[in-house]
Amino acid sequence: MSCLMTLSHAPYGSQDAKESLDVALVLSAFEQQPAVLFLDEGVLQLLPTSQTPSSHKHIGKIVSALEMYDINELWVEQESLDRFSLVADQLSQTVNVIARGQVAQLCAQYDQHLVF
Amino acid sequence: MAGFLYMSDLNAAVSPTVGSSSLTYAIVVRCGPHQQSQALSAFQFTKEVLLQGHEVLRVFFYQQGVHIASRLRVVPQDELNLAVLWQQLSLDYDLELGVCIAAALQSGIVDQQEASRYELGSDSLASQFTLVGLGQLAAASAECNRLVSFGGN
Repeated sequence: MSCLMTLSHAPYGSQDAKESLDVALVLSAFEQQPAVLFLDEGVLQLLPTSQTPSSHKHIGKIVSALEMYDINELWVEQESLDRFSLVADQLSQTVNVIARGQVAQLCAQYDQHLVF
Repeated sequence: MAGFLYMSDLNAAVSPTVGSSSLTYAIVVRCGPHQQSQALSAFQFTKEVLLQGHEVLRVFFYQQGVHIASRLRVVPQDELNLAVLWQQLSLDYDLELGVCIAAALQSGIVDQQEASRYELGSDSLASQFTLVGLGQLAAASAECNRLVSFGGN
């Protein structure tokens, strides 16, 4: 059962980013490594940051753990990067950049699609 | 013979619907009781799936959804009490209602065991609901034909 997860929440301000990454790691622990698509404010989860707001876990550390959990298929939507004037080189992980027009096609390749 | 059985298992995995229109569902509820219409949609969908003869492996309550599992909410008389609706559905169909334990503990939703472990003085988990790990979501997603998620935005 192949799974794509879409993460569209900003890293801090709520527990949403943390809770969605937790699902990715647990799926992987159950041998169902999902592909992950970072969308909208979700792309900010990939920004390398040294400091985190107090009371929040370091999202960057969880994101860098994805690779250890064999979650290697990371996608980032081009338009979301543009919105924050980012380029893929600035991100903490090696990612595949995909245009908005191609996202539906990407989704169609997976049995399941979990949207956060 | 073993090889033959193995092959038939493979076929079953590829086309689970062959010979039967019944599907196996897993439901994820990520919206809380304050998002009444979304939370109600999750319930109504699940009920309809069961009415139509499909199987629901598990309903998994996560994020804001864990608040539905509180037995300490008081709902105005003219509003629907989602916890009661889910409890009745669980009794009618022997439906498993799993609540993410990590999210629940942070929201003050605890069963007797956790209440005594953390010396909280009182439990708050409604009957028919059980605290389970996030792994139960992963297990359900691996086993089901359809994973349907409600809320979260």
